Amino acid sequence: MPLKEHKAGLAPIDRTGPKPPGTAGTGRGTAVGAWIGTAVRIGLAVVWAWAGLAKISDPQAAAQAVRVYRILPEALVKPFGYGLPFLEIALALLLLVGLGTRIAAVLSAVLLLVYIASIASVWARGISIDCGCFGGGGAVAASQTSYWQEILRDCGFLLLAGWLVWRPKTRLSLDGWLAA
Amino acid sequence: MSNKNDGGKRSARERMQEERAKQETAARKKRQLTVILAALVVIAAAVVIGIVVQNGRSSSYDAAKDAPAGTVGNTRLLIPVGATNAPSTVTIYEDPRCPACEQFETGMKSTINQLLAQGKIQIQYHIASFIDRHDGGKGSKNAANALACAQNVGRFHDYHDVLYANQPDETNDAWADKSILITLAKQVPGLDSPSFESCVNGNTYGSWVTAVQSDFDKSGYNSTPTVLLNGTSAYPTYNNEDISPANFTKWVDAANKGKPLASVPSASAEALASPTAHNNPPASAGASAGHS
Repeated sequence: MPLKEHKAGLAPIDRTGPKPPGTAGTGRGTAVGAWIGTAVRIGLAVVWAWAGLAKISDPQAAAQAVRVYRILPEALVKPFGYGLPFLEIALALLLLVGLGTRIAAVLSAVLLLVYIASIASVWARGISIDCGCFGGGGAVAASQTSYWQEILRDCGFLLLAGWLVWRPKTRLSLDGWLAA
Repeated sequence: MSNKNDGGKRSARERMQEERAKQETAARKKRQLTVILAALVVIAAAVVIGIVVQNGRSSSYDAAKDAPAGTVGNTRLLIPVGATNAPSTVTIYEDPRCPACEQFETGMKSTINQLLAQGKIQIQYHIASFIDRHDGGKGSKNAANALACAQNVGRFHDYHDVLYANQPDETNDAWADKSILITLAKQVPGLDSPSFESCVNGNTYGSWVTAVQSDFDKSGYNSTPTVLLNGTSAYPTYNNEDISPANFTKWVDAANKGKPLASVPSASAEALASPTAHNNPPASAGASAGHS
């Protein structure tokens, strides 16, 4: 890890010794990977921020977007409709500053899997809705549904989350700054 | 802690390094745990605060003081038109910006007015406002509030008809501009007044409008117009027949068979029966159907 200062008073420790070669990763490959990771992290942050912010201006619409999935009982519709956008915004913030990147990525992946499963379930039950992924939502005409596109898009986001679970160390992150 | 049983074979330097590596690993683990905990706290705090804030923003409707005068139903979300003791009830869910509602109104208005005048039906209007969500904008909510303002002074029906006769294209959010709603109110005799204008401009019935939409959201009906004849869907079909002025009259008469009709004061019956009822000035936008 070039260009990094170690804590004062401690001599540099060679960690490559006891570890199996390859895992620590040295040289250009890791550096490029860390920068790719940064791009992925910011990209996913933008996605979550966009998704979350689009849903907070109208809580009633957000609740309805959840209600029309007909998965949750009425008592849970509002907590989820009101809370999910803020979960998304919190994930966006964590990813943006790179704090707890791996846990944020794991939670992102879980949330995306839940979304994909929900859309698939609606699709399988023959309900016609807009997923409400980026605001909006609610019932639409059967010809207006776009479940394929919605699921594919979420799978794309899932890949981003997966990358960060695999390689959470990225440049320009609070995680990196704290570990330095 | 240390490796005394190594018999001092290992150098002090080696031992120190090992010790330090252990400490570093432990410190790293601790740091990682702290970070994970911090991330979870951020998320939990955001979600809890979000739910509380959004709850506070959306649950302020109090039927006792937020509903316009003359509204009916458990939580006073419905606007009644016509005699209360009419034998049939027609429930209509409409969004002011909904083009299909405009077509329904244009095609069926004179028939419905006739049925009202004959004391055969009472209408209960649910003024939904969800098109603002779909297409963006504020026109539905503004218009729904203005309709509530008109209801509060007993001019709902006339103003409702004027709005549909002058409805902008669905994607044109003309009614985001409240002054247009006020200008249209001038077509209804006795409606426009300083208090009406401040009601429209101040969004006086905003929480009622939200509550009505919330009620529609929970109703399970998901499009407008939704028209129910005594609780049974009558739009676009009823008993496998398409809705039309003749069919609708027939359905109502069949439902009313053997039941006494409500008596409607002759003055308001005449006003409803007039071909120009609630339609001044003549609508410009292709509203030729339905005017006998």
